[in-house]
Amino acid sequence: MVLAKATKIHKSYPLGKTRVSVLRGVNLEVRKGEMLAVTGSSGCGKSTLLHILGALDAPDQGTVSFAGEDLFAQKTWKRDAIRNRDVGFVFQFYHLLPEFNVLENVLMPRMVGTPVLSWISSRKTAKARAAEILELVGLKDRFNHRPKELSGGERQRVAIARAIVNEPRFLLADEPTGNLDAKMGKGIMDCLRGLNQNGQTIVLVTHDPLIAQQADRQVRLVDGRIEA
Amino acid sequence: MYKLFLTFRYLISKWVAVFSILSVWLCVAMVLIVFSVMDGFLDNIKQHSRGLLGDIIIDNSTLQGFPYYDDFSIYLKEKMPAEIDVVTPVIYSYGIMREPLTSFTKPVRIVGIDFDSYCGVNSFRESLYYDRYYPDTTSLGFAQLPVAGVDEQDKPILPPKLEKAHQSYLNDRDEDKFDETDFYGKTFSSPHGFGEYVQRFGQPSFEGNPLPGIIIGTDVFFHRDKEGFYDRQVLNRGAEIVLTILPLTSRGTIAENPIPVAMRAVDDSRTKVYEIDKICVYVDFKLFQEYLSMGPLERVDGTYTQPRASQLLVSLKEGNDYNAVAPRVEALWKEFLVTLYGSVTPKDADLLTRVGVDTWETRQQAFIQAVEKEKVLVTILFAIISIVAIVLIGVVFYMIVLQKTRDIGIIKSLGATSLGVAMIFIMYGAIIGVIGGILGILTGTTVVANINEIQAWLASRNPNLQVWSPEVYTFDRIPSVVKPTVIFAVFGMAVLTSTLGALVPAMKAAWVWPVKTLRYE
Ligand SMILES: Nc1ncnc2c1ncn2[C@@H]1O[C@H](COP(=O)(O)OP(=O)(O)OP(=O)(O)O)[C@@H](O)[C@H]1O
Ligand SMILES: [Mg+2]
Repeated sequence: MVLAKATKIHKSYPLGKTRVSVLRGVNLEVRKGEMLAVTGSSGCGKSTLLHILGALDAPDQGTVSFAGEDLFAQKTWKRDAIRNRDVGFVFQFYHLLPEFNVLENVLMPRMVGTPVLSWISSRKTAKARAAEILELVGLKDRFNHRPKELSGGERQRVAIARAIVNEPRFLLADEPTGNLDAKMGKGIMDCLRGLNQNGQTIVLVTHDPLIAQQADRQVRLVDGRIEA
Repeated sequence: MYKLFLTFRYLISKWVAVFSILSVWLCVAMVLIVFSVMDGFLDNIKQHSRGLLGDIIIDNSTLQGFPYYDDFSIYLKEKMPAEIDVVTPVIYSYGIMREPLTSFTKPVRIVGIDFDSYCGVNSFRESLYYDRYYPDTTSLGFAQLPVAGVDEQDKPILPPKLEKAHQSYLNDRDEDKFDETDFYGKTFSSPHGFGEYVQRFGQPSFEGNPLPGIIIGTDVFFHRDKEGFYDRQVLNRGAEIVLTILPLTSRGTIAENPIPVAMRAVDDSRTKVYEIDKICVYVDFKLFQEYLSMGPLERVDGTYTQPRASQLLVSLKEGNDYNAVAPRVEALWKEFLVTLYGSVTPKDADLLTRVGVDTWETRQQAFIQAVEKEKVLVTILFAIISIVAIVLIGVVFYMIVLQKTRDIGIIKSLGATSLGVAMIFIMYGAIIGVIGGILGILTGTTVVANINEIQAWLASRNPNLQVWSPEVYTFDRIPSVVKPTVIFAVFGMAVLTSTLGALVPAMKAAWVWPVKTLRYE
């Protein structure tokens, strides 16, 4: 069963007076429950594609259907809700909020999705859930640390915990091991595989073939298209 | 939920919040101080010039004055009994005042007033010094020198009449209503003995030959010391003064040789308009009229000339609008002139045709033209200050939002709506506006309330810092009242600018695709 389907995605960026085409007709299907690795050389547009799949950016042309619905034809508030509930995104550069501690960063998607009044009643369960997930990614004793007090691997794990706290149907990870050494990277991959084994659909961007091999399926982005 | 949470976290974890509160605080305080002082200044001018004149002024702006003023007063009251309250005649002239003991002389503007009715037309009585501590003891009639005696406890005692009057003051004095330039007012003691009255051992009494009373503008003789108190010891109450008067005929020529008149200084008047207090002295209308040859004089054929006055001051009964009544008074004056037809000498007719009717407001226009210029200048300065303050606050918030652009992208990528994210910064701005505004208002009102003390303190450190000088600014004190409407307006403006200053950049950052703001690293 297909969870997300990208059709003829085009994306270009302005470069001086001209535009550089980054994606030139990408077609991609992500099946439910699979772990898909997207590889490609640096600067080929992997991150760009992942952002579009996660509704963080709009394509110039083409459509993305998510669970059967066209993502970019939706009303804005519906797309906001999808980002909040159905998509978990792990950024290449973590992107944690520096003013908040680990636990609060992980709780953030929950808070965003809960109105003030229901937050009062659901706060306890949300906290318990965040603590549980942090334990799962091995950050049991780091709840009250600020992001800048953590190592790169720890930050990446906080970012993963934040991405999965709302139990999204779709987890997108952009170079989750890119900035880490082999040992740290292995830890992250173990973590993601564990999630995948519990049925989590994951799209993973990497330029490391060893990492890509661990996925169920690999696709390669070359010249703005998915290589056959 | 996240909005409140994020707003508060940003408030407490960012130093820039403290700086922006500080800048709002200072801007609000500055605007409040500048505006209050300027506004108070203008209010002062209005209040005082009304208090010194009356609602309506009738005169012909010459030194000779105009005749038939008495007949017209009666005519006016008869025709408009519901509107007219009090009408009082005034004579203005110039003279030289001399203090015989020190031979100290000064040019003065002499105001001839009918004391009781003049006090009924305006607030002159409130400006008197002795009349406050010894109610109803001031008059312009003949007076002697009051001399204080000393009792067994070495305490000065005054003649029974003054002692009794003072007792009535002590019984119902209003502690909130005192003059801050008055040492005794400040300490709520009485001006017994301390140089204000001549003092001897023995029984209190009235001494010397009775002479007509004169009220002297406070700044004509007295100087203020460093603490801002007047030194009244240079002239006791009831001391002798010589006033030299120049009588004028109705043609405007000097009628006789200048006349020196010995008088007694019975009180001093502080209207708080320095321009007036440094030059005006007040004497009895009838007496002055006689000395100036403006009273009825016998002609060779046995008839009498018409007495003249410089001005008629009119106060209206409660509920009348002077702007509406003034034209009717003017019409009545025309009517009145017709009734005089045929019985007036050509010289008198000349003076009569120059007579005009004004409200205190239009009269004030001429009275304060120099001040009007100052007002324009201050208004422009104030506008510039406000604009600078608004731009400053706007820039501070722009910087804050710019600094947080990446966070906006993150929060949006977690599913927050554009409006929700923008709200974080709008609330942030509003809260800073409210806190800074409250602090600014507290500071501003405190400074304004104590602005004279602050300036006195500065002046005591360095005389060059004496910025408010009575010679330049007409009023001898810096206005020190903050109006509630001004507080609300300034506070509203502070909150609005802070909110708008945050709103504009927040909207810009929030209404884009999340990755756009995440591309910096
Ligand atoms: N906002 C932008 N403005 C202009 N050019 C952009 C923008 N975003 C991406 N690009 C360009 O698009 C191309 C693809 O960028 P992208 O980040 O998707 O590459 P990537 O495959 O993820 O690279 P890496 O492996 O280094 O992360 C790059 O050449 C980049 O310079
Ligand atoms: Mg990338």
